[in-house]
Amino acid sequence: MQKRVQERGGRRSQKRMKAGECRSGRSRRGQSERRRGTAKIRAQASWITLVLKSLPQGKGKQAKASSTESGNGPTGMDLWQLLLTLALAGSSDAFSGHEDSSGKPKFTKCRSPELETFSCHWTDGGHHGLKTPGSIQLFYIRRSTQEWTQEWKECPDYVSAGENSCYFNSSYTSIWIPYCIKLINNGGMVDQKCFSVEEIVQPDPPIGLNWTLLNISLTGIHADIQVRWEPPPNADVQKGWIVLEYELQYKEVNETQWKMMDPVLSTSVPVYSLRLDKEYEVRVRSRQRNSEKYGEFSEVLFVTLPQMSPFACEEDFRFPWFLIIIFGISGLTVMLFVVIFSKQQRIKMLILPPVPVPKIKGIDPDLLKEGKLEEVNTILAIHDNYKPEFYNDDSWVEFIELDIDDPDEKTEGSDTDRLLSNNPQKSLNILGAKDDDSGRTSCYEPDILETDFNASDICDGTSEVAQPQRLKGEADLLCLDHKNQNHSPYQDASPATQQPSIILAKEDKPQPLLIGEAESTHQVAPTQISNPNSLANIDFYAQVSDITPAGSVVLSPGQKNKAGMAQCDTHPEMASLCQANFIMDNAYFCEADAKKCITVAPHVEVASHAEPSFNQEDIYITTESLTTTTGRSGTEHAPGPELPVPDYTSIHIVQSPQGLVLNATALPLRDKEFLSSCGYVSTDHLNKIMP
Amino acid sequence: MVTTMDSKRSPRRGSLLLLLVSNLLCKNVASLPLCPSGAVNCQVSLRDLFDRAVILSHYIHNLSSEMFNEFDKRYAQGRGFITKAINSCHTSSLSTPEDKEQAQQIHHEDLLNLVLRVLRSWNDPLYHLVSEVRGMHEAPEAILSKAIEIEEQNKRLLEGMEKIVGQVHPGIKENEVYSVWSGLPSLQMADEDSRLFAFYNLLHCLRRDSHKIDNYLKLLKCRMIYDSNC
Repeated sequence: MQKRVQERGGRRSQKRMKAGECRSGRSRRGQSERRRGTAKIRAQASWITLVLKSLPQGKGKQAKASSTESGNGPTGMDLWQLLLTLALAGSSDAFSGHEDSSGKPKFTKCRSPELETFSCHWTDGGHHGLKTPGSIQLFYIRRSTQEWTQEWKECPDYVSAGENSCYFNSSYTSIWIPYCIKLINNGGMVDQKCFSVEEIVQPDPPIGLNWTLLNISLTGIHADIQVRWEPPPNADVQKGWIVLEYELQYKEVNETQWKMMDPVLSTSVPVYSLRLDKEYEVRVRSRQRNSEKYGEFSEVLFVTLPQMSPFACEEDFRFPWFLIIIFGISGLTVMLFVVIFSKQQRIKMLILPPVPVPKIKGIDPDLLKEGKLEEVNTILAIHDNYKPEFYNDDSWVEFIELDIDDPDEKTEGSDTDRLLSNNPQKSLNILGAKDDDSGRTSCYEPDILETDFNASDICDGTSEVAQPQRLKGEADLLCLDHKNQNHSPYQDASPATQQPSIILAKEDKPQPLLIGEAESTHQVAPTQISNPNSLANIDFYAQVSDITPAGSVVLSPGQKNKAGMAQCDTHPEMASLCQANFIMDNAYFCEADAKKCITVAPHVEVASHAEPSFNQEDIYITTESLTTTTGRSGTEHAPGPELPVPDYTSIHIVQSPQGLVLNATALPLRDKEFLSSCGYVSTDHLNKIMP
Repeated sequence: MVTTMDSKRSPRRGSLLLLLVSNLLCKNVASLPLCPSGAVNCQVSLRDLFDRAVILSHYIHNLSSEMFNEFDKRYAQGRGFITKAINSCHTSSLSTPEDKEQAQQIHHEDLLNLVLRVLRSWNDPLYHLVSEVRGMHEAPEAILSKAIEIEEQNKRLLEGMEKIVGQVHPGIKENEVYSVWSGLPSLQMADEDSRLFAFYNLLHCLRRDSHKIDNYLKLLKCRMIYDSNC
């Protein structure tokens, strides 16, 4: 409580200063006055504290007595006394102020309207009759460039600015010069303040307000007007001595709150969006730019807008909820009916057409169920983009089983023999598809579509066989068996299955290769299985050359390369083709192939079976087989044991992603192209290459 | 923008808005080079020079008013700084016109030179003001930033005024006359009260002089450019 009272006291002094309008920043009352005031406030505060302390907590208990009251009974007199006390406590500053102002004149305001003259006003303290009129005097002094050597001078004009005022005309006014004025009452100074003229600028109100109609909105409800005025006449804005800014306020005639607009520097401003059926009041006030205090408001301007046109739109635009609800309900009803009626099949079909089942044009789904794969394949082959996806495991298995079941086709050993038999017709029947894609794709790259059918058949068989074998986890591959038994067709197949670029060339190769223990004479004449047994005796290893998208494994018919060393024989025509054959996508490198390709002399090279390495179904060949073949083939093979089996060898190191380092015997070091074209090198070779 | 009247409309809000607007305006205008870089004989019109000078002087006065108010609010309350009654400003020795009649009678070239002198006189105090405010205990960021800004804009205004003088009164280059400021020791006094009093005095003088320059330039602009018909 004490603090509050003291705050009020402090604020009161500030208020006084503000009322005096002498913006010197702080009170100019002087130290003694302040001390007196503070002491007074303190006394009041202590008294009030005492009073209030005696009061019980809570405002509701008004019946409690103050210190002066001992009684407890809630009497009216007690209540009034208490209320008076509280009122006095609440307005202690006013109380003190009243006491002060009762006899002390003080400055209320000093103001310069145009930065050329100024005037100061004071109050006489309310004691009109007590003091002789005119006894209050104002003295001023202005500090020039020298010190305050001048004397205090009396106010030059007590009249022009009204009662209790002093007016300084332009000859007495100097801007940017500190002034001090003091109020003398009966010889005693009652008030003093200091200021500079530029700090007390408060312009007069603008004059000549008028308005013009700008436009009326299309709805006929609102309008814009432009309000213009003139700057106060005594402010010399034309010469730029003072720069003013204006603030406009407007409101409806029966409102209480004024709407303010932002200050503007010009003397006209548009007011937007006034309603046509209302009357408005407008007023403007001005202030010096960079100042904080505004001058007085101008006279109020009444704006009476033209009446609203009778064709004006309805102002109240009620959202047509009712219509929306009606429409919504009807729409829902319609939909409901539709749904109900859709139970009927036809309408249902109309509205909700069934999703078509998957169907391939020209193929009866029942056909697939029956298992007539020949027809199916025939039909399927028509499609160009017949992808190996069709060859799922089940269908392959099915296919294979059919082959086996067919007694005609049954061969002595297995289906592989049959498959590998050089019987294009049979193969055709078996495969039932003219298109190379049918069945071959599992063995060969999908992109190889132009392979000769013959060749593809065989390999198809091999691949077909291989897949189930893989599925069954058997290492023995029918492909290999077939190859063993039937070299030539296999040879046909395998090279054919090589890249298309070499298919033609290879076709010739296989036969001689297949015959293999190959002679240089690699005639195209397809020789029947010359020595299938030889191949058959070879351990079956199948290199997985690729994995089809369907998930099946594409095996490389390496077996053929036994003869395949013959295949690897470099033929003159092959040499050029070999270069193209070094496709890097195969991570498995067949050095023999490289050698084959590099060397011109046609001879069977074991390792060089490019075919198998070239992402074809190369069948693994055991080292022995290779070596034997190589030995037979000629001298190219360098030391048989040295020549690594191109298709197979144990993996020494897996160097991803480029390839595998195989444990094959050291390869003869060839030129660099051999290196670059191959996906892997054997350890020995590696050692040779890298010291 | 229309707002309903509050019972107590803060004057600071208005001045702050004004400061912001003029700040943006001044930043935009002041940052635009009148002459494109590389131009050899760039002759900017006197009107543009004056417009820019007036904007700068207005901006400087705004800043100094704000700075003074903040300093007053923060440090000078209750201390009874009645500086104006006691102290003078170091530029008081320059005989500047003190009312409208004197300002109208003085020749515009002389007035321009006076403005130059006042501006030059403030170079040194502003520089020291910045460094001393920085070293103040709990250096107030608002005051410091404004001081820095004022110092820079003062230099710009000085350059602009020299350009104007060069156009209006070419050839004659007066000696650089200005008032020397010797208030640095008082700014560095150990006694807190005295030091604050010195700051207060300096800021008050800055506000006064910036208002003076602003007024002179507006007067000159109306007189020279708009032929006394602003």
